[in-house]
Amino acid sequence: MNKEFENTETRSCNCQPVNTAEINSVIDEVVEFTGRGKDKVILILQEVQKKLNYLPSDALKHICRVTEITPGQISGVSTFYSQFRHIPAGKHTVKICSGTACHVKGSQLISDAFRRVLKINDTVSTSPDNLFSIEEVACLGCCTLAPVVQIDGKTYGHVKPTQAEDILTDFLRSKEKAVADGDKAVADDFDAEVRIGLGSCCVAGGSKDVLSRLMEIRERYDLNLRLKPVGCVGVCNQTPLLEIVTKDDIHSRYTNVKRDQVEEIILKHVPPGSLNKKIRYKINDLADTFLSDHMLKSPVNIPAEQREKYLNNFTRKQIHLATLNSGILTPDSIDEYMLLGGFDALKRTIISANPAIVTEIITQSGLRGRGGAGFLTGRKWSISASVQGNTKYVVCNGDEGDPGAFMDRMLLESFPYRIIEGMVIAAYATGASEGIFYIRAEYPLAVTRVRNALKQCYEKRFLGKNILNSNFSFDARIFEGAGAFVCGEETALIASLEGKRGTPRIRPPYPAVKGFMNKPTLVNNVETLALVPWIINNGAEAFSSIGRDKSKGTKVFALAGKIARGGLIEVPMGITIREIIENIGEGVTEDRIFKAVQIGGPSGGCIPASMADTPIDYEELTRMGAMMGSGGLVVLDDTDCMVDVAKYFLTFTHKQSCGKCTFCRIGTKHMLNIITRLSEGKAATDEIDELERLCYSVKNGSLCGLGKTAPNPVITGLKYFREEYEAHALGICPAKKCRELIKYVITDNCTGCTKCFQECPVNAIGFKPYEKHEIDQNLCTKCDNCRIICPENAVEIVNINAEDQNK
Amino acid sequence: MPKIRINNIELEAEEGESILSVAGKAGIFIPVLCHKEGVEHYTSCMVCMVKENKTNDFLPSCSSLALDGLDIDASGEDVISMRKKAVELLISEHRAECEAPCRIVCPAGYNIPLMNRLLASGEYRKAVDLIISELDAPEIRCKTCAGYCENACRRKKIDRQISIRNIRIFISQNLYYGGGPDHFIDQTEYRDLKNQFSSRPGKLDSNELQEWLKECTGTSMRFESIENFESAGEEARNCMHCDCRASEDCRLRDIAQAMGIKDKGRKVVNMPVTKKINHKTGLIFEHAKCIKCGLCVRVCEDSGNEPALCFINRGFISVISEPLTMEFDDILATQTDTCINICPTGALSRFK
Repeated sequence: MNKEFENTETRSCNCQPVNTAEINSVIDEVVEFTGRGKDKVILILQEVQKKLNYLPSDALKHICRVTEITPGQISGVSTFYSQFRHIPAGKHTVKICSGTACHVKGSQLISDAFRRVLKINDTVSTSPDNLFSIEEVACLGCCTLAPVVQIDGKTYGHVKPTQAEDILTDFLRSKEKAVADGDKAVADDFDAEVRIGLGSCCVAGGSKDVLSRLMEIRERYDLNLRLKPVGCVGVCNQTPLLEIVTKDDIHSRYTNVKRDQVEEIILKHVPPGSLNKKIRYKINDLADTFLSDHMLKSPVNIPAEQREKYLNNFTRKQIHLATLNSGILTPDSIDEYMLLGGFDALKRTIISANPAIVTEIITQSGLRGRGGAGFLTGRKWSISASVQGNTKYVVCNGDEGDPGAFMDRMLLESFPYRIIEGMVIAAYATGASEGIFYIRAEYPLAVTRVRNALKQCYEKRFLGKNILNSNFSFDARIFEGAGAFVCGEETALIASLEGKRGTPRIRPPYPAVKGFMNKPTLVNNVETLALVPWIINNGAEAFSSIGRDKSKGTKVFALAGKIARGGLIEVPMGITIREIIENIGEGVTEDRIFKAVQIGGPSGGCIPASMADTPIDYEELTRMGAMMGSGGLVVLDDTDCMVDVAKYFLTFTHKQSCGKCTFCRIGTKHMLNIITRLSEGKAATDEIDELERLCYSVKNGSLCGLGKTAPNPVITGLKYFREEYEAHALGICPAKKCRELIKYVITDNCTGCTKCFQECPVNAIGFKPYEKHEIDQNLCTKCDNCRIICPENAVEIVNINAEDQNK
Repeated sequence: MPKIRINNIELEAEEGESILSVAGKAGIFIPVLCHKEGVEHYTSCMVCMVKENKTNDFLPSCSSLALDGLDIDASGEDVISMRKKAVELLISEHRAECEAPCRIVCPAGYNIPLMNRLLASGEYRKAVDLIISELDAPEIRCKTCAGYCENACRRKKIDRQISIRNIRIFISQNLYYGGGPDHFIDQTEYRDLKNQFSSRPGKLDSNELQEWLKECTGTSMRFESIENFESAGEEARNCMHCDCRASEDCRLRDIAQAMGIKDKGRKVVNMPVTKKINHKTGLIFEHAKCIKCGLCVRVCEDSGNEPALCFINRGFISVISEPLTMEFDDILATQTDTCINICPTGALSRFK
């Protein structure tokens, strides 16, 4: 029996930093603006928490007093969603990403390191001085920069455990300067346009620094430059990304741009404005050439071909439909979207004046839901259209919660207008009058962009009354999710919209018949809606000619993990796993061996390298035991333990289970218990069979998709890597990953440089200059610091039990 | 009207009717825990599983609609083993016992908890009658017994066991005090423990054991040697009521019994055992016995403004609780009985 109780403290603590009168006035103000209905509970709680930092018990009481919300409802809702806190958090929040990509790159070690430095043990989440809180989040969506840590919106990528202290110091020292957005108002006629990615990954990679430097340089040399922030290009591991388009339409692209490289890159392509600035530039240039040799390594000296080779490889196999015009389009500009053919599809639709034909085109195209299950979109639309009723809804499902997937975020951030257009078309086809964008609250940039886009659409009359002067009217709004993976399931999402706990219910009746507020509701994934305008513009045949068999068109994947070039890619259905990994991703990193690829996140499975020539489509993936899921693609190499990966996903689904049905609530707990014991070498071989039986019970017996697919990572693990499970039952972790089964030792390569001694946080290594060092196994916490720092690679990980056997 | 097949019988269903209801009308039994006629379904326990023969999908029959053309297997081997698994999972979280340890270990099968309760409430004559009714030999067997009951007594782990043996011996010396043959307690209303399903609590830590002290009603005066009924009563008031209040009226136990399930006692723990007592209405809530079916939450849902029970937390750690903003004493002022009656287990009951 597990003696560590999982239940965490949900009650408010006794400290009350704000007084009741203050709390009440904050709430009165919030409620004035949100409304008092039962369905507003999540919005009210979000707003109140924003102002009070947490939700004190007095606040909950007062909300019940001044609204229709009951004490039972507010208790249920505020404890269901992870976003809500009942105890105060520290001044700054350190968010440690535990998404799949970060996990396989050692996020657990990072978390341990930050906890150690901040003196936060496992039972609390805030440092003793109340300065920092630690939060482990499912995915920050910067998978290509893994492992990632975010402190109050400032993101640090490729973090090493040894850097925890430095990062905190750096954060405290440099409060991020707000980069003033916007352009210098100059003539339309620019010498060049500089495009810089401002997606979340790019910002995390430092693109704001680059942007501010760009503005300085433009000022200093008086350049006639147009600075253009663009959405995600998809090459997330090479951020920040800079593209310079000169008047003669020559595109030059630079990846991994550093702040101090900006100057020479720009000046290479764009002449300085005034004469004396030109002279100053020349002199500087000369001086640089003489005084340093850095020009040789400078990016401008690398031939364009070589510099862009990777980018070209990365984009060659891709087809951009949902991500049409990626890297060109400014996310916020409706004019530019229209200039590039935006809203043409909507115009066609409305001119056709025939909703049935629109549905027919979508059906003909073979488009299937991109959220994971792959239901035929056209069929969903026609069901929704055929239901009688005056009020119908369309919901855009942007509650992307898979650790290791971030395509919905990227689409919402980069192409908000396209998704709105898709939604309006869907509404026209089904006769809906109101649309709701359900977007995770963890995606603030997506929320801002869509909000702005909606405003613009109202102004241009693509939304509102009598759209494009037709008699069709449609309104759309945003609903921010509060952090519950299960809300990606459509019935749970609807419950959440109605201000309830996000628990799924049995289907039928399907939401298309009886959904939000018991009205017919069409729920479509972000990517599905993003594909709609392209299909309307180019016809069903053009779409169905891409892809294969029953899976047509393209799919956006987030490629991450142990891959040389990760990022966001849109590829035709039917492409093989190998093509993606070798051609687009340029193989695995550090000359390691490609072992498996995890597709579909917690609902998917691990497909072994031996099956990498299988084409990717809905049926093939299901046949292999994985699932399309929302499209996370995490590459694993020979240092990744399959038991550890399965344990990771089970921990996730177990935490995210809504707790409604028996199999998912308790079944996943038992599975997790067995797999945890396996990873600790404590489980017997016959428990593997028990685990397998449990997997099938949970798969067959759960109520919704979350439970039905939760065993997939284990089932595929057992199917393709059973010997690894069996090795664990004998106490050996072949990949040397499972902490309880390994130890760190120093080999004879040690030169006695004492670096490991300096790095060890627990003094497990003695100070022995010029002698071979040793690790005290009783003190060692397996933090990995010594192995990272050792210049001689003299620190090795060995299996504890394997060694015993040898003796 | 939709036509469906259940166990190869052609049946007609009403529009919007559940498979469970159609089966029920045809006399096909399907067990349920979280379902109650008249309360909106929640589809939680999954004990009512049936199988669709064409797709091989398992469906919870309480809320799955009887759609035209369905071919349902409601009693097959797969179905039974699926239901059994569901009950086993529920039991694995059920950190409670149906019967008190003292009664389980007693070689003579004496109903010790009942005796303690009668003594504690001052019903001495009834207690004597109980003991008389249990006599199957000229002498009670306690005199020669090693006292397994006291060894098993949970109170022993906290301070000292209840002096069960001495109490019984004292009463056996005062049998004349009873009401005579007409007043014998009818033992047939209690089940014979042999071959009965009995849930086990798994390991309990010392803090959890302390929760049982809430069950003691007396002044904590202890008597090792029993010389009169008063001291017997006082000592009995220290009994921690380990047996479940719903031991004779528990749907979970009945179903587990019917399915032939054995509790191996390996439990998963979502939170420490607690006992909450509403001092105004006498409601006692033991979450460790709760199967999270939410019937008590749902039955009170439309009942106006009276604060009721609600779900808090998510997933494995979700529990039924009073609202965060209320005290347990201040809820269910009028609906305590409704909730107790609808609870399929002994999680909600009356504290006496």
